Amino acid sequence: MLRQAPGHAAGNRPGNRQPQAGVLLLVAVLTLLLIALLGIAQRHGVAPAAAGPVPVRLLMPAPFVDATAPLLKTFHRSHPNLRLEVTRGPLDTEAMSDLAIGALLLGETPYDVMLVDVTWTARYAAAGWLTPLEPLLGNDALEGMVPGARLGNHFDGHLWRMPFNGDTGLLYWRTDLMDKPPADTAELEEIAGRLQREGLVRWGYVWQGRQYEGLSCVMLEVLNGFGAYWWRPSAEGVAPVAGQTDLASPGAIRAAAWLQGLIRQGITPQAVANAAENETLQLFAAGEAAFMRNWPYAWREIENGGGPVTGHVGVTPVLAAPGQQTGGTLGTWGFSLIAGSPHPREAAEVIRWLTAPDTQRQLVMAQGYAPTWSALYDDPELARLQPLLAVQRRALEEALVRPLTPLYAQLSDLLQRQVNGLISGGGSAPAAMAEAQRRSSVLLDAASTS
Amino acid sequence: MSPGLLEGLLMLPALLLLALVFLWPLGAMAWLSGQASSVLTGLTALPNGGANWLRLLGDGRFWQDAGQTLRFALVSVVLELLLGLGLALLLQRPGRGRAWLRTLTLLPWALPTTVMALGWRWIYNDPFGPLNALLGLLGIGPYGFLSNPATSWLFTVLADVWKTTPFVALLLLAGLQSIPLELRESLELEGAGRWQRLRHLTLPLLLPYLSLALLFRLTQALGVFDLVQVLTGGGPAGSTESLALYAYLNAMRFLDFGYSATVVMGTFVLLLLAVSLALLLWRRSQPHRRPA
Amino acid sequence: MSGLRIQNLSRQLGNRLLLDGLELTVAPGECLALLGPSGCGKTTTLRLVAGLDQPSSGRILLGGEDITGQPAGQRQVAMVFQSYALYPHLSVADNLALGLRVRGVPAQEREQRIATVLELLQLGNLRSRRPAQLSGGQRQRVALARALLRQPRVMLLDEPMSNLDAQLREELRPELRRLLCGAEPPVLYVTHDQQEALGLADRIAVLKDGRLQQLGLPRQLYEDPANLFVASFLGRPAINLLPAEGGRLLGLRPEHLRPTAAEGLPARLQRREWWGHQQLLLLDTPRGELRLLLPSGSEPGDSFQLDWPRACELWFEARSGERLRGFGSENTRAL
Repeated sequence: MLRQAPGHAAGNRPGNRQPQAGVLLLVAVLTLLLIALLGIAQRHGVAPAAAGPVPVRLLMPAPFVDATAPLLKTFHRSHPNLRLEVTRGPLDTEAMSDLAIGALLLGETPYDVMLVDVTWTARYAAAGWLTPLEPLLGNDALEGMVPGARLGNHFDGHLWRMPFNGDTGLLYWRTDLMDKPPADTAELEEIAGRLQREGLVRWGYVWQGRQYEGLSCVMLEVLNGFGAYWWRPSAEGVAPVAGQTDLASPGAIRAAAWLQGLIRQGITPQAVANAAENETLQLFAAGEAAFMRNWPYAWREIENGGGPVTGHVGVTPVLAAPGQQTGGTLGTWGFSLIAGSPHPREAAEVIRWLTAPDTQRQLVMAQGYAPTWSALYDDPELARLQPLLAVQRRALEEALVRPLTPLYAQLSDLLQRQVNGLISGGGSAPAAMAEAQRRSSVLLDAASTS
Repeated sequence: MSPGLLEGLLMLPALLLLALVFLWPLGAMAWLSGQASSVLTGLTALPNGGANWLRLLGDGRFWQDAGQTLRFALVSVVLELLLGLGLALLLQRPGRGRAWLRTLTLLPWALPTTVMALGWRWIYNDPFGPLNALLGLLGIGPYGFLSNPATSWLFTVLADVWKTTPFVALLLLAGLQSIPLELRESLELEGAGRWQRLRHLTLPLLLPYLSLALLFRLTQALGVFDLVQVLTGGGPAGSTESLALYAYLNAMRFLDFGYSATVVMGTFVLLLLAVSLALLLWRRSQPHRRPA
Repeated sequence: MSGLRIQNLSRQLGNRLLLDGLELTVAPGECLALLGPSGCGKTTTLRLVAGLDQPSSGRILLGGEDITGQPAGQRQVAMVFQSYALYPHLSVADNLALGLRVRGVPAQEREQRIATVLELLQLGNLRSRRPAQLSGGQRQRVALARALLRQPRVMLLDEPMSNLDAQLREELRPELRRLLCGAEPPVLYVTHDQQEALGLADRIAVLKDGRLQQLGLPRQLYEDPANLFVASFLGRPAINLLPAEGGRLLGLRPEHLRPTAAEGLPARLQRREWWGHQQLLLLDTPRGELRLLLPSGSEPGDSFQLDWPRACELWFEARSGERLRGFGSENTRAL
């Protein structure tokens, strides 16, 4: 019908060239159809299980699938009774979340094991989508991990997730512009401003300010760096919402004002108000900025990128205001066991193996992933291969976890809106933080009374 | 078999399909909008009276998004109709390379929205995007196209106009092709210039196609989602968030399915109102309508 | 000098010559029919005069003024299209009014002129109908009314009756004559129907492949065709062509043959078509199949001899189709 419509409309005029438009339309429709089909095919690209070894179905973002592919061969040799069926998920965290939730909502999940972001744990657990891991892996499953890596895996008294890597936010600095990194935020401001005034660099400090989860990560670090808290857990609260926010405290207001001030002083470009990780990395890798807040992946991108700053980049834990405790946001993936899996024991075995020190060691060597096990940070061979490990360990020791509540997505969303409004539009930090606190309280109060 | 019965039988599959893909989800949404169903209830649906609807009425963000969605839809649809008409008139003129030009103008429409939105995000990039490079050549900028709450929505409109104008143009081109050449020649012989021909002949005869394009585009634009999601994520400061994006956030991020359904139903009600209002105004302003 | 004058007019499209050096004059009050098969250049001529197409060379003069380069809208010509080109979204009255409106005729005068022309064409009771609600004949009259309202310096009609059935065409022919012919503006009337051309036009121009074949009075064309094409294009049933010695053809119109008791061309009846007032006999002769037109009452029998008046013979050169004049009856025996 689509194909005929234009031709019919032109039927009064023989000899015109309208059929071409019809053909074009057809081609366009077919193209879209093909793209849609490819998308579907990719989702269901894994062959169904056959009799024999027990199938364990695994969903991971595509880069992790590629990274673990050689290891899985080893796994199949040592575990002839199991067969892993891996689905490639999207690279983007939010797209991955959509795919995961889409699958989980169906009830009969097509996966046994899923790689889960640290912020999803409480929500998925409260939704009843996950199976507790401590009965299968033991209460001491996380024993031997760096303190920061143990965060964000427990909720409501159960272990829901085995951490796969130990990423935190880091501060990148330019070794060609300074001898050593600044010690605190005040020093960062001063160095950045001076370098800008001297015309050595266009911008001082770039970070993620777009209205998305990355801004919440930045905010968590800055709040902590100014002695404030986003979330105060409480023992008394009803289980799903056991805690409250504290966003209107003087420290929190100073933290927000600091971010706004960076832009007002011109140390941070206005562009960060729509910058995610990649936009920030572009600016820094092009030599346009003296400092950058980003995740560990950025280091490899810069080192392999061959840009103007390659070989001139140092990495340090994120900074705090003078006299305050530093800390970087924990941004890790971990394996969860999906409720309703027909083979929970086998799936748990897969999780144990994928997060075991031996496996992590391979991944550190091949991919540079930050391990979660303390022992691996003491391994001299790894330290030699991955110079970033020493900094990553320090950062992981003091990692910050985002509020552990099923309502985290709402809390994060409303904080993003306020802070993004503050850095892009105007308004005052006290007003913005008061509004964030008010909305958070309304949300949490409604949740506790319902 | 009587012709009436045959007709009915032939229509049955289409009606069933319509019921399946439209009425059933709509009914399910309406039901869900009266339930509490979120992480707090373990995703089980518990009737909570009109609590979701009361919350919706008092939800400033819903109404802000409604206004923003309407603003986006109206401005982009008006621009698309104007530019689409111009483009269609241009594409209709005979001349060498017209086929190529048609193919070329259709490309934006053939592109998946997410791909195109990623492209525009790069075009708007501050400071590396081509648009800022252009401003740089003129000695201005760089400008934060997507980081200014007062103006960012305009640039989401621009991207949408770029993508969907070809669709409107194609539709109107089909309409133009359906106008016999002799009609234009006849009016030309009567001494009418280009504008008079457009006003007295082309536009009135194009009216059914314009209405169709308006209806299509208005409903589509009021449901804008992927463009905004990719381009700005609803930011800066929520200034580009659409109702569809808000419904999506509630469902897929917040896992609050009850309230998400309420947002969807609220959007549906507003959409019905907006489209019927548009149609009513359109009819009112056009006393002469072509008999079927 | 007034009237329409076409001088050496040519139109080339790619490497095809649609019109090749046409020379034509239409006097004021004269109705000239352009007659020919499709693709002969007659519609091209009309569009060139209207200004809807531009000639490759040549000139068009209207009332002595060269209008060749003028835009169509300034030429003050009216045209009735084959499809009538009525504006489908407007009522009959609005169809008539639109042209006046775009030319800025005041409302009152507009109303008056429309009323007059509606009266003239007996369309008064249809004034608020849409074109879709009119019959074919009514649409034609509206198109005609619109053309008359233009008060043109030349009136162009492009096959105005080809969409009507045969009976209606016959009815309308005198009406068209009454309305168009004899009035001041010259009329250029395109048709492929010889009946229409013969019955309506003062003079006829026969075109073929973009070239003028013959221009003259209807009777002249029929009785004294310039060449084989004109002879065979005009006249139904078509002229009989008998091959003769020396690469010649003898043309004999079916109505000029008659059965004779004397010695003539032996003929045997093969088939008969009875047309009411006349009958057409298809005959087998040693010179090929011949058509014979007789009054319906006569019964010549199954085989007879054929004869014809020598003055009615039309001789042509077979290869070129040229008419051979002064090639007379004494040669008939050469058959």
